[in-house]
Amino acid sequence: MNEEQTALVLEKLKEKYGSSLLAHAEKPDGVIVVVNKENAYALLEYLKTDTEFAYTYLVDVTAVDNSQLESELERFDYARFIVVYHLYSYRGHPRVRVKVPVHERALRIQSVTSLWNGANWLERETYDMFGISFEGHPELRRILMPDDFDGHPLRKDYPLRGRGERESFNFERQNV
Amino acid sequence: MHAELDQTTGEKMVLNFGPQHPATHGTLRIVLELDGESILKATPHAGYLHTGFEKLGEHLDYNQYIVVTDRMNYLSPLSNNFGYVLAVEQLLGIEVPKRCQYIRVLMAELSRLADHLLWLGTAALDLGAFSVFLYSFREREKLYSIFEKTTGARLTTSYTRVGGVLRDLYAGCEEDIRQFTTDFPKALRETHALLTRNRIWMDRTKGVGVISSEDAINYSLSGPCLRATGVQHDLRKAEPYSSYEEFTFEVPVGTNGDAYARYLVRMEEMIQSCHIVEQALDNLPTGPVNVVDNKISLPKKADAYGHIEGLIHHFKIIMDGHGIQPPRGEHYSATESPNGELGFYIVSDGSGTGYRIRIRPPSFFNFQALPHMLEGGMVSDTVAVLGSLNVIAGELDR
Amino acid sequence: MGLDFGKSGEQMDGNILTTTIDKVVNWGRKNSLWPMPFGTACCAIEMMATLASKFDLSRFGSEAIRFSPRQSDLLIVSGRISIKMMPVLKRIYDQMPEPKWVISMGACASCGGVFDTYTLIQGVDQFIPVDVYIPGCPPRPEDLIDAVMQVQQKITRGEVPKGLEQVSASAHAVDAR
Repeated sequence: MNEEQTALVLEKLKEKYGSSLLAHAEKPDGVIVVVNKENAYALLEYLKTDTEFAYTYLVDVTAVDNSQLESELERFDYARFIVVYHLYSYRGHPRVRVKVPVHERALRIQSVTSLWNGANWLERETYDMFGISFEGHPELRRILMPDDFDGHPLRKDYPLRGRGERESFNFERQNV
Repeated sequence: MHAELDQTTGEKMVLNFGPQHPATHGTLRIVLELDGESILKATPHAGYLHTGFEKLGEHLDYNQYIVVTDRMNYLSPLSNNFGYVLAVEQLLGIEVPKRCQYIRVLMAELSRLADHLLWLGTAALDLGAFSVFLYSFREREKLYSIFEKTTGARLTTSYTRVGGVLRDLYAGCEEDIRQFTTDFPKALRETHALLTRNRIWMDRTKGVGVISSEDAINYSLSGPCLRATGVQHDLRKAEPYSSYEEFTFEVPVGTNGDAYARYLVRMEEMIQSCHIVEQALDNLPTGPVNVVDNKISLPKKADAYGHIEGLIHHFKIIMDGHGIQPPRGEHYSATESPNGELGFYIVSDGSGTGYRIRIRPPSFFNFQALPHMLEGGMVSDTVAVLGSLNVIAGELDR
Repeated sequence: MGLDFGKSGEQMDGNILTTTIDKVVNWGRKNSLWPMPFGTACCAIEMMATLASKFDLSRFGSEAIRFSPRQSDLLIVSGRISIKMMPVLKRIYDQMPEPKWVISMGACASCGGVFDTYTLIQGVDQFIPVDVYIPGCPPRPEDLIDAVMQVQQKITRGEVPKGLEQVSASAHAVDAR
């Protein structure tokens, strides 16, 4: 990866999506762009299908609960969650990290499963852990937690030791 | 007769496979919809070993979390220790001394051998080749004794530290490792003799669980599963870290992306890892193994006990809220673990514990692609395909 | 034991005979434990090492690993048990025929270990009776061999498994009522 290529990706994105980019940066681990929810899918689709960049490899989809990170909250209009997409290109371009702020009042974002099959479980996990819905996802249900589980563990207001789920089952506890 | 019955009634059979089944290696579960013996639909279920690693990362400090990474991938804990501390170090913006980089490479490659050996033993065991299991564990025990002498533990090594390693290699380590790398290719040839041209092994794995390179990329596969489809991609070459650019080694690739190709790729990777280990021993630099920074590395015990500065530095690193505090920001770092791209995405709020630690587990993607490889195949292929993927539940569910 | 000794049996001291049969039965039981490995995580790897070439559990008469609970009498819980897994474990335990013994291998199965989190059972003994606990994270293969031998000693001494003890205790309580 060299600086020219880093600049190239960012320039192209600024040119095409300039008005919907909320922030951008060049870091040692790649290019970071923050884009609004409305244009996120289009930007990801562009990065994947563009013949020059060809970000065909989806590395990761996850989210961050910013509710205890005051500075980040202020930066992005008090959006509680940031959905993060990591992309990789086999053409030697730098890694791209696309971040999309999602407000708690509208806890949904368009699914990218139509672009990458690999996004299926990642979005399910993000739904499971943070409660963010992915619109257009073929089967959005819990993946790591049991189906009847209540709550979203990776939210900051969920306690580390849970809310008593680990002691209550439909069979009896022994005398301990 | 049965086929006729199926056609007349149109009935499908649903077969539950796991979570407690000898071939699921712990806690995987697959629900298969069958038409006779052929698989119409496979639905993998995950989460039976969900432990809350990512949540724990928000409550443990950066050095404490190394303990957790051991238990995430228990076949190759050293690679996980390595991948994690690398991410923290890059977040801190520090680089460890050359000797430390080489020791880490050495240990990571030995643990790649340990991982592939266990994969080999269990995958063969699943298909009925019991001797291979015993052969590969014999080799693994040799590695275990090297790990134990170096790190103090057979399995849960916790060897790396942010800014270095727990301690330097022990005296006589080089002889032990050289003995191993000399004997190992011979032992691997025994396994080749048992499996590679074995009619049963070939019939059960060739043309089974096929995935094309386009699909493999679309499903975000990585590591040996991706390379078996013909994509020559290895992060050790593509984005070299920890001096990997100074080593010469080949990246083996398969051609048709079936279970047999994954077997051959892993077998060859073991030989390449042996070469890397030998190179690391040949060129092992001298010098310190920890960064010289009192805010990151613990002082020597003699200093901590004998000098007030040493004691203060020791205290500051260990105490809550005084230890390693990376600047605010975020970092993603990926390493080529035995199973593929192992990534750590760390968001720091400037305090001593991470604000968010996300682990990008290679097994998660390999297991996700399982239905693609199974559907249309026979029910008996399930074990062969699952075995060839080397899905590690601890890493899959975290 | 349901044995009918007829006239000659009445003349003998019945207690001695019963104890002897118990001893014979226990001797047989002790040397033919059929373990059901419930391996989930790191400890399962050490359990495999125990079964494999170097440590070779079969030297202790319990190498007949059965992956069906209905064929085994020793449950080795090795590894972390999550809230999603606990019902499965409970069901497997219930399916095992009596008398049955349980080894809780490693810190996670015994008390949650280093993972005091929302999803992890803090000790399987909250839900199933455990006879022998093995400390360690993970325990060495020697520790597992030792635990198997402890179970064997319990059987030799004629101790009732924890599970049966609780069953008879609760039956007692019902009788008293």
